[in-house]
Amino acid sequence: MLDFFRRNRVLVASAGLLLLSLLLSVGARGGRRDPVAGVVLELMRPLQLAVTGAVDAATGLWRSYIALVGVTRENELLRRRIRELEQQLVHGAEMQLAEQRLDQLLRFRSTFAGDSIAAQIIGRDPLPWSRTVTINKGANDGIGKNAAVLSNQGVVGQTIANSSNAARVLLITDHNSGVDAIIQRSRAHGIVKGALDGGCVMKYLDREASVETGDLVVTSGLDGIFPKGIVIGEVTEVNPGTRGLLKEAEIRPSAPLAQLEEVLIVTRPAVEEMQ
Amino acid sequence: MRAAILLALVTIPALLLQTTILPLIAIGNATPDLLLIICVYLGLHLHSIAGAVGAFALGYLQDTFSGGTIGLNAFAMCLVFTVVYLTSRRLWVDNAVSKIVVVFLASLLKTTVILMLVALFVSVKGLGQSMLGYLIPEALLAAVFTPAVFALLARTQVLTVTEEE
Repeated sequence: MLDFFRRNRVLVASAGLLLLSLLLSVGARGGRRDPVAGVVLELMRPLQLAVTGAVDAATGLWRSYIALVGVTRENELLRRRIRELEQQLVHGAEMQLAEQRLDQLLRFRSTFAGDSIAAQIIGRDPLPWSRTVTINKGANDGIGKNAAVLSNQGVVGQTIANSSNAARVLLITDHNSGVDAIIQRSRAHGIVKGALDGGCVMKYLDREASVETGDLVVTSGLDGIFPKGIVIGEVTEVNPGTRGLLKEAEIRPSAPLAQLEEVLIVTRPAVEEMQ
Repeated sequence: MRAAILLALVTIPALLLQTTILPLIAIGNATPDLLLIICVYLGLHLHSIAGAVGAFALGYLQDTFSGGTIGLNAFAMCLVFTVVYLTSRRLWVDNAVSKIVVVFLASLLKTTVILMLVALFVSVKGLGQSMLGYLIPEALLAAVFTPAVFALLARTQVLTVTEEE
């Protein structure tokens, strides 16, 4: 018996680890917290921050280089001067854009009560079938789990894990996401879930509810996470369905989730904004 | 110890690449799964308990950085390791082309296993169709990156051996 285990120790270890993985999955579905995830997130945060910074710098340099293509060798000195100016311009433009974005975030922040904090996106999901991002603020900044994450253009998602100085955000386009929502015009109620094409689907709409293409979808505030009245997106198609009492609508998110660089996290929602 | 150093030396940069730069150059939704290539390398070259634990750790890391259920990638990586390990005991997998083919097939296996497990846990309309859409591109991308990652791993392995000696 012992000899069998010794001869097949790799296979026995693999079988044990396969079982452990399944148990972890079942435990995770049961809502058990993963203690290692926070530590790993925290350890990787400075590295992710550094790489993202380096990529941004490299992109800036590349843009500067492209802008200078075509200038002749005879004008080397002039070209150097132009490069310096170009870099300053790119830097200035980046600063101006960042300032504009932050200013928009601040103005958006003042539209609802409660506490919120701005954060930078430092990493994206490594797998194509789930949609999460990592931000550079965590428990030390008052960010817990299930905090609403917004941009000035609309709802972004909610935090699902945090460490001291970083947190992971589940985007509204992920299939695990769900946001309680209403159609702004008709006040029809439903749940906005992530679809696999990068958009969202509003489910559980009453079959008789008035929903039209172009209708604006906003948060209802009923889920206790998102403040009431924040824009989620716009109805692009209504699927009446052939059976049952319910129908669904396809939603295009208002926030440009793939291009976002800064977000706002609601650390303490105002009680009156929650239903 | 040598295996742990080898894994850490290659996995951390690979994970950093996979969470920061590679999503920017994704083809459609598909990005090269560098950690899977490392897992296949372990299955081919590290026939020990450390190899199996390494494969589990790679999957667990992916779980930590993705929005899916914890354990799904860990399970798929362990399975890939086991299948590659058994294959390498029976078949001669030593030249570059055979390694590329093994990584391609391992990628198909991993995505299929995850698809089946996700279907077990949650019911998402169109998930299968969506995942099947990048099943082949993901496997092709992994195959393209295989020679570089394998060369890097082989070099790192040589370095760690020299350091220990």
